[in-house]
Amino acid sequence: MIKESMTREGRIRAAVNLEVPDRVPIAPLIGQFALRHQGMPQSEGYRNPSRVIQVLMDTFDELGGYDAQVQADFIWPSSSWRISSAPTPMHVAGRGAPEDSPIQAAEREIMAVEDYDTIINRGWNGFLEEFLPRVTGRPLEKIDASQKRQLEIYMDDAKTWKEHGVPVLFGASTCSCTMILSLCRSLIQFTLDLHRIPDKVEAAMNAMVDDLIDNVKNDVKATGIPWVFFPLERGSGFYYPMKIFERFGFPYLKKMVDAFAAEGFMNMLHFDTDWTLNLPYLKDLPHGKCICELDSTTDIFKAKEILKGHMCIMGDVPASKLALGTPEDVTEYCEKLIDIVGKDGGFILSTGCECPIDAKFENVKAMVDTAKNHLPAH
Amino acid sequence: MSELADVIAELNEDEAKRLVREEIDAGVEPMSIVDECRQGMDIVGERYKKKEYFLSELIVSGEIFKEAMAVVEPLLKGGKEADPLSKMVLGTVKGDIHNIGKDIVGMLLTAAGFEVYDLGIDVEPSIFVDKLTETGAPILGMSGLLTPSFKSMKETVKAVEEAGLRDKVKIIIGGGIMTEQVREYVGADACTNDASEGVDICKKFAKEGK
Repeated sequence: MIKESMTREGRIRAAVNLEVPDRVPIAPLIGQFALRHQGMPQSEGYRNPSRVIQVLMDTFDELGGYDAQVQADFIWPSSSWRISSAPTPMHVAGRGAPEDSPIQAAEREIMAVEDYDTIINRGWNGFLEEFLPRVTGRPLEKIDASQKRQLEIYMDDAKTWKEHGVPVLFGASTCSCTMILSLCRSLIQFTLDLHRIPDKVEAAMNAMVDDLIDNVKNDVKATGIPWVFFPLERGSGFYYPMKIFERFGFPYLKKMVDAFAAEGFMNMLHFDTDWTLNLPYLKDLPHGKCICELDSTTDIFKAKEILKGHMCIMGDVPASKLALGTPEDVTEYCEKLIDIVGKDGGFILSTGCECPIDAKFENVKAMVDTAKNHLPAH
Repeated sequence: MSELADVIAELNEDEAKRLVREEIDAGVEPMSIVDECRQGMDIVGERYKKKEYFLSELIVSGEIFKEAMAVVEPLLKGGKEADPLSKMVLGTVKGDIHNIGKDIVGMLLTAAGFEVYDLGIDVEPSIFVDKLTETGAPILGMSGLLTPSFKSMKETVKAVEEAGLRDKVKIIIGGGIMTEQVREYVGADACTNDASEGVDICKKFAKEGK
């Protein structure tokens, strides 16, 4: 075990500030895995969200502790119905899905092509005002009240983590314009929109981005946690050529990140799918104000080459390795990450995307232990 | 290369629609129009392999092909192709409701000449087996995005074995997190996280099966 000389928070801060901490911090994205491990059906976590924190804490203790809890519990905190994400219908355990099944998006076309005009005319929040009740079948007042109840639980849970000396790295969340429109239209329809009506899509993005920024600022004000989580999947070079990213992706992402950085918020860019081709653009985002969090499909070693000294990198133990591999496989991979990506600081070891619900406990433990036992090779 | 194949390769949707209509009106054999469309799709596939095109271009070209087939297919004898490249059963496995990858690969397989039996999402192993038995399809494609899908895929392979079909059916698995380790665990013949590569593997399977 490496002799530690920093607090958890200090270790995380050093990594995001691109400094060399006493050891590489470890901050896995643990949620559904903890419930499965502790024998609580996922449905119970959604029925009684206030029970989730204890299960997460028990798992944290069993793993011997780690350096940060990314999300305090299962809740995506928001201060009102003005969400900076898509109201995609979800397949939730106990609500139509089996009791212990993972949550999944039931993506379908919930937004019509005509709705672009409403966004252009009324902005994102103006559109949400009529779109949310239409999609969810619930009036805004009920959605608002539900968000506020959830926010209270989230803040209590974040406080509990803080009292245990564990920083929480999730104070608000926002999808990119591409991600929101793609989820609302469906990936295939949105891709056809980019081909058929690019000017209209662009006009909608121009009309929505400021509302997304304002919503996040309000949410951070409510939680008091200056960390913004960006779930980014749609829009990568896996899907689109760089000319699409240059017009519809990066300008809006940069506008949002710049606005949040100016407020002193840290931006956790949660990249799912392969963003390797997009990595050079990230050098135009503000220095030391973002985390490039990868899911194992983007080349993390290339990310280190390109973003070294500019942006902290986080990831990316593959889900398949955690679910099917052995502790030796996991340790070997984590050591490689620490040696190469962790060299000269600016790295947080983590799961590639969320820890799989059916990960083997001994594999997750091996990941956590490797961060505590292995220093980057010189 | 025909003009129709060229405009499809260039993703010119309006021109493709116009040319298909023009060729039908001129009395061109419907199967010949399908072949021209397929040539256009082949060029798109080649450009994708050369990294000149991305998944988005595969999606757009697949949509153009689908629109063309909606017009041409009713004119084919019996309303469908007489001699598909191969039959294939496709679906997202039990416990997983992700459809995007499956839909894209299904669209590309159809455009490549496969007769695809798409069973949808959250498909039980027995449903896959029933469809393989009913159609005699020699290829099974299973899709999944979450790690629990690995177990469902393995159970489906076992069900195919128990039905005595394993030596008659080639099995490919696909999804964002598929790896060789997953393929081995599942007992599939191939795995991919690339829709275009998936089509190539199925073409190879179809060729081996003939």
